[in-house]
Amino acid sequence: MNPSKSTLLCAAIAAALLVPSPARPAASQWSVNPQSRVRLISPWQIASRDGELILGLHFRLAPGWHVYWKNSGDAGFPPSVTFQPAEILGKPELLWPTPHRFDLPGGLVAFGYADEVVYPVRATIWPDALPSPGSPRKDDPAAEDPSTARNALTGGDAVFIKADLDYLVCEVDCIPYRYTLTLEQPLGEPAVTDPDTAPLLQSWLDRLPRTAAEVPGLQIGTLLDAARPGEPDLEIRLRGVTAKPGETDLFLESHESLDAGRPRVKVLQDAVIFHVPLKPREAGNPLPSKVAFAWTVSNLSRGDERFSLATRREVEVVTGSAAKPGRTPAGAPDRLSRLLLWALLGGALLNLSPTVLALLAGEVLALRQGGSGARERAAAAATGIVGGCWMLAALALAARRAGYSVGWGIQLQEPAMGALLAVASALLALNLWGLVEIPLAASSSRSGTGRHLLAGLFTVPLALAWPVPMLDEPLGYAFSRGPAAVCAVFAVVGFGLALPYVILAAVPAAVRLSSAAPAWLPRLREGLGFLAGASVFWVLRVLSRQVRPEGLAWIELCLIGMALLAWLRAREASGKALRFALALGLAACAAGASWLADDNRLAPRPAAASRSHRSTDRLPSISREPPANRTSGG
Amino acid sequence: MHDKPSIRTLLLGLALLSLFALPAFAGSAVGETAPAFNLKGADGKSYSLADYKGKVVVLEWVNPNCPFSDRHAREKTMSELAKQHGEVVWLGINSTSLDHSNYLKPAETLAYNQKNGINYPVLYDETGKIGHAYDAKTTPHMFIIAKDGKIAYNGAIDDDPPGRKAKAERVNYVGGGLNAEKAGKSPEPASTKPYGCSVKY
Repeated sequence: MNPSKSTLLCAAIAAALLVPSPARPAASQWSVNPQSRVRLISPWQIASRDGELILGLHFRLAPGWHVYWKNSGDAGFPPSVTFQPAEILGKPELLWPTPHRFDLPGGLVAFGYADEVVYPVRATIWPDALPSPGSPRKDDPAAEDPSTARNALTGGDAVFIKADLDYLVCEVDCIPYRYTLTLEQPLGEPAVTDPDTAPLLQSWLDRLPRTAAEVPGLQIGTLLDAARPGEPDLEIRLRGVTAKPGETDLFLESHESLDAGRPRVKVLQDAVIFHVPLKPREAGNPLPSKVAFAWTVSNLSRGDERFSLATRREVEVVTGSAAKPGRTPAGAPDRLSRLLLWALLGGALLNLSPTVLALLAGEVLALRQGGSGARERAAAAATGIVGGCWMLAALALAARRAGYSVGWGIQLQEPAMGALLAVASALLALNLWGLVEIPLAASSSRSGTGRHLLAGLFTVPLALAWPVPMLDEPLGYAFSRGPAAVCAVFAVVGFGLALPYVILAAVPAAVRLSSAAPAWLPRLREGLGFLAGASVFWVLRVLSRQVRPEGLAWIELCLIGMALLAWLRAREASGKALRFALALGLAACAAGASWLADDNRLAPRPAAASRSHRSTDRLPSISREPPANRTSGG
Repeated sequence: MHDKPSIRTLLLGLALLSLFALPAFAGSAVGETAPAFNLKGADGKSYSLADYKGKVVVLEWVNPNCPFSDRHAREKTMSELAKQHGEVVWLGINSTSLDHSNYLKPAETLAYNQKNGINYPVLYDETGKIGHAYDAKTTPHMFIIAKDGKIAYNGAIDDDPPGRKAKAERVNYVGGGLNAEKAGKSPEPASTKPYGCSVKY
């Protein structure tokens, strides 16, 4: 069936009228305001009548202004757009190139794009909904929608696209705009690309993040650590990609019940680890066993390829001993009083740790020997302990501000700190054996309140060596509440730790009881030295997992050296200069032990990056990240 | 010289050291005790949260120079709702920093409120201290504090960030929350993501 010549002619004329000339840009007019301009672009001068149609929402922004990613961050909102005709285009989907982070005053952040961005739009043309090509104008176009009417007019040789756009452009100020962008997209075969818009759109399609499936060899580990109530921590580990310190960033999509803080990034060789502090919007609701998260990681590379990565995962929620899943949420006052009680009990419990117990016993003896004013001196020791806890709170807050993960027992994460604790415990043992006179504990008969205050202060670092799981929850809660809460919990822990002294100070009978102690008590004090010695063993045991065996042997040698020097100094040395030299030697041994621990630290094993799921077996501490960002050099 | 501090002084110091800062457990999450404040209003009077014990309090972070806050003021989103809920204490809080161009002098705030029919106090938090205590992120950012002093709602003013919908079609989260409070229930949703300009700390 050949069409007649006249029909062909008509069709040719119609085509000439309806199909725009190739010079016509495949884009809408710019909509312009002082902060931004926006248009809808198509990469096609003539697009195929069937299948996927990629368009682009093209923004140019004045310097300093930005538009938003799908999660706008703390303020703002992402552009929203609806397309007409829906019967031909379906529901086009806005795609999100990898965003940037913008810091706003007050610690707020925004995620989005500055200067220029093209949001690709994925639409599908439903050919069945198009009028057949060259069909005459419909008699009764759906007049209520101009785009439908225009599409009826185009007779299937073009689709008249209308985009109703709302967007917010922000610098520090924000201005919302609303435009309707229109674009007439010619359709036909063969499809013809536009030399200007096609490469532009392609360059932004290239900036879309890849999916995990598109990065072979990539391993993703996730964990939502809910051991600290009110302060869950999302851990994301990527292995098999290279990250760039200072450039690789993590952007979490909005979550319905959890607000995300600034991620901490740790770059390892061929791996990167993110820790995102989360804050539940509603307190007291326990987390389910799995929580869905979606995120984009920017600035990754593998070989010469640079890319970003978008992932969605059901993340397993892991709770420590302090927080059992599914526990019914306690009311806030109940919870608060319970947490404070735990802090008090935890603090009191620390008195049973060998080092603290040894010091405590020594102090009680000193109180007894000091004669009158024992209660004042006990109160001084208690004040010293609580004051020490305040200092500790300040230190913890400072460390946290610097980005470290802190908790009770954190100092054992650092081998050098652990070695110092071993030294302190050894010194205490030597002191109780009467070999070292530190003007702190029981060895001297002079016992002014100031010295007991110092002894109280000294108790705090000694207590730090002992992990008390009971303290995890109160401290975690406090850290999620801010500095004042941290100080309060530390103070209560201190009060618990000082409880024996408080009792001695407050109850006269207690002092009398301790004064009535029998004559064999000095022997007991020497015996307690072995308790302090036992705690040296405990710290060394922790250290054995952090430093190389030969390093540990050297540290032990330092401790023995200390003991030898102390013994020499106490028993044999008479000259002042010699005693001073031996004291210097003692200090050198202490410093040496600390340096050796740091120098012999075990580098984090590369395999650690992939062992993301059960990483709680590392240390008897609630911290899960070594404070230093060391790479696995060797 | 050997002066002994009296046991009373020491114990008092100890108690102070131990117990100071206990009310610091307030927070901005739903279910937590609303942080206390004592702020000066544009009208020169002092307003303290403690004065409203036993009452439902709505806090609205505002900034008349923010297009979102301004749109809701012009549309009377909150001022009309405040009229409907006469039993509720309604307070606007402006945390705009003194040196930000968006800062309004108290007289300007009063004139703005009068023009837009806002007849509840707007408090000044130029230091941003209270804004940070509530973790206020946007203008508007809404909080409902229940009679027991706990935060019952934290989030957006409604479900229509671009303001496309007719007012009657929007879900006003604060209105819904107050109705729930009135009926002795918890607001649903109790939290949403607030939208608008960033608070100009």
